[in-house]
Parts: sequence; structure tokens; C-alpha cells
Amino acid sequence: MTFEQVNSKVIRVAVSPQGAVLARRGAMLGYSGQVTFRPIAGQGQGVGGMVGAAMSGESNKMMATEGSGSVLYGYRGLYVTVLQLTGDSLVVEADRLLAHDAHLQTSIEMVGQGGVRSAVRGAVTGQGLFTTRIGGQGWVALLSHGGTFPIQLAGDTVGVDPQAYVAHTGALQVDLKSSVGVRDLVGRGSGEALQLHVSGHGTVHVQASEEKVK
Amino acid sequence: MIGGIDSPTYDASTLPADDNVNPYAFSIALAGEWFVSKGAMIAYYGQVEFAGVSQYASRASWVAARFSSPLYVQDWVVATGQGKVLVADRGYDINSYDLDEGNLTIKQTNLLGFQTSLELKQSIVPGFVTLLGTGKFLASSNGPVIFVEPPFRADPESLLGWADCPSPSQHYDHNWMAQSFMSGLQGAFGRESGEERQYDFTGAGTILLQSSEATRVDAAMLRTIESQTNLLDNQSAGALGQRLVARAQRQ
Repeated sequence: MTFEQVNSKVIRVAVSPQGAVLARRGAMLGYSGQVTFRPIAGQGQGVGGMVGAAMSGESNKMMATEGSGSVLYGYRGLYVTVLQLTGDSLVVEADRLLAHDAHLQTSIEMVGQGGVRSAVRGAVTGQGLFTTRIGGQGWVALLSHGGTFPIQLAGDTVGVDPQAYVAHTGALQVDLKSSVGVRDLVGRGSGEALQLHVSGHGTVHVQASEEKVK
Repeated sequence: MIGGIDSPTYDASTLPADDNVNPYAFSIALAGEWFVSKGAMIAYYGQVEFAGVSQYASRASWVAARFSSPLYVQDWVVATGQGKVLVADRGYDINSYDLDEGNLTIKQTNLLGFQTSLELKQSIVPGFVTLLGTGKFLASSNGPVIFVEPPFRADPESLLGWADCPSPSQHYDHNWMAQSFMSGLQGAFGRESGEERQYDFTGAGTILLQSSEATRVDAAMLRTIESQTNLLDNQSAGALGQRLVARAQRQ
């Protein structure tokens, strides 16, 4: 069930009876074979996951792709990044998820676990207080404007524009840093007053644009 | 000269002839006539004149006769003269295709231009047009075009066109309708919520796909649907009107 990149905006996924795929609703471009689609509500396992998704607003309309065949996925001409998870977990906004293997575990969690600071971060960046964590062995496809590039971190810190941040893997600490000065208050700031400071060991995926996925 | 820019600077003679300048712009070497979609031209060199298709008909009716679609006639112009015409569309990838005694059906909003040796007709599928004959045409796509062979089912929004295969039929995903009560309910009212409807291709040929786009408003769509309301009797037409008013008020 590898996710094969057809071009920068489209992926091809082989679906089998053992390997269903969850994808964003409306992301199917076409398919061959005996494949059916089924809308599903929310993410996460069981009732807790459903309730959590409903409460946090961190749920997207997803669908399950089942059967056997080959399916093309893409969404509104956005760029697609394919990642393979090998036991580690990926933290991502739900609306950036294009598709992932159905057997991966997804859960909703509070941003950062950092109390008020992270709450402020979520509110300010428009990312909300919750993100989705995906773990296990399998494939994930992410949406971005203009493609993503990975930044490897080995104990150092990198500053990322909150709008350009897409996802991260590994043991990373994400903090909001504001350098709001007088100029920002009077509306003459650089527009870069708020940054995410990411530190630790892992990889941050950053998109080449400051546009959010709608 | 501007320093630090790697891309070449073009003039009238160094611009490519009937070839892509880059993935997002195409240079037509004009010597005679081309049909060009309104708004697709971004620049031109030489003695080139743009005239509406129906306006051009008075001068060379054989050319206008090639454009056999009154529905789209307002959205197209004829470029005549000698020179280079640059064509682009919203930063989409531009592809040129050569038809050789063939036929190809393509989404009207993605067709940017074609040689007058080709003939254009409206497809039975709304929003699509068919090109017949021999010649070159230009079409845009969101991301590179993906070619697939039938049997294949395509999402209506990602379908760019098809060549040499029978027109598609509509396939409704029973599983989707059964699983989603709401969507089944809406389906009964002719509305859709997701992936339940696909175009089903069988037989031999080629299907062209693009990454799904945020669909552009097709000005001709209103005219297509309006003309089809002639099929309704007065009472049904009134009922349709009421439903449309209710929908407009809800939004």
C-alpha cells in the first residue's frame, strides 16, 4: 500500500481488502478496480475519539476507501507531500491531511501540553488548540501550498512562520515566540512578529507559502 | 540589462514557435487564424488582430463555421495575422496536443485555443466540448495531466477530458449513499455531498485527469441549464423556480 507520487499534486494508492485508506472527502480524483467509498465521521478510535473530534473542531470530513484497486487522490490543486511513518508519530493539523493508511492510529491532542502559552499560540496562529497525532507504520499524505521542505533538527532551534508550519515528527518542542514591539502596535511591524520556535530532535515540514489550507 | 536573472530574455524572433516558453505559458506562431479563449492571451508580437467569432463570420464564414457552438461563441475570439501570441491561464500548466483525424472531448474552461483546421462541437456532457479533425490545440491543467486507460471512474471535478472512447455514463456509489443517510436524503433531492457520483468510462481510449481544482465559474453553465428548462412544462418550471429562489435565500 505504498503511496506513489504521480506528480507534485496527485498521488496513486493501491487499496486492498487488508489495507483500507482514509482520505479527505472530495479528494478522490478517479479510480480503477472494485473500490467503494464510505463517509466516516471524525477521527480517532472509539467514542472518545469521536467526542474529542467533535469538541475540538479538529476533525475533517473523512472517508474510507475500501475494496481492491488503484485510486488517485488530490485536493483542489494543492501540493501533496508523501511521508512514510516507521513507528514514530507525526503531528499535523487535520485539515492538512489528504490521506493515510487506515491502520494508523490517530488521536487528537492539546497543542504542546503547555498550558496558557500553547493556548495563546493556538489562538494567535489560527491553528486552534488541538492538533492530530498519527502514529504507527504506514503512509501519510499532506496538503500544502507550493510544496513542503523538511528541516532536520538535532538539538538546535529553528524559527518558523506559523502560517508556513505544516507538520513535524520526532521529539520536538514547539513554542510561540512573540517579538511584538511598538511598531507592531501602531501597525508598522514587519509582519513577522510571531514565530514558532521549534527545538529538539526531529523534522519540521514547512511549506513555501503563508497560505492556509481551507 | 538586469543582473542576477537566469531566465533568458525573449524577443519576437527568439520566442519559441508553437512551443511552451515554460510550463505555464505557450507561444503560438501565428500565420493565419487561431481560435483563442477570451482572456487567455497575455501578450503578443506582430500584426495580430482579435475579433469575436460571430463578428469574424462576416469576413470568413468558413472559419466561423468551424466553431459550431452558439453556447460558447461569446467566450471565444479569432486571432488573425502574423506574429507570436503568448497564452496562459492562472499559472496552470499549459499543454499542447496534436490531433490526427481524431476526436477529443475536453472541459470547456480548460480549453485555451485551437487551430482553425479543427472543428469544435458541444459535447453531450454539460461543460465539455469536442474537437474533431487534424490540428493543434492548447489546454490548461492544474498540475501536469495524468493519462489513464479505461475501465476507470473519474471524479467530475478532476476530469479534464477523454479521447477516442465512448462518452461516460454516471456511476453512483451505492455504498456511499447507503452509509450516509444525509447524503442519501440529499441525493433524492438531486444534491450531493461527496464522492457518490463518478463518471464511468468503459471501452478503449484515453482519459485525461488533473488534480481537482476549485472550479471556476463557467459562464456558459447558466445558459446550458436555462436552455434545458425548455423541456419542462409550465407547472414544473414554476416549481423549479421556487426551489431556486429558496436556495438563493438560504445562502
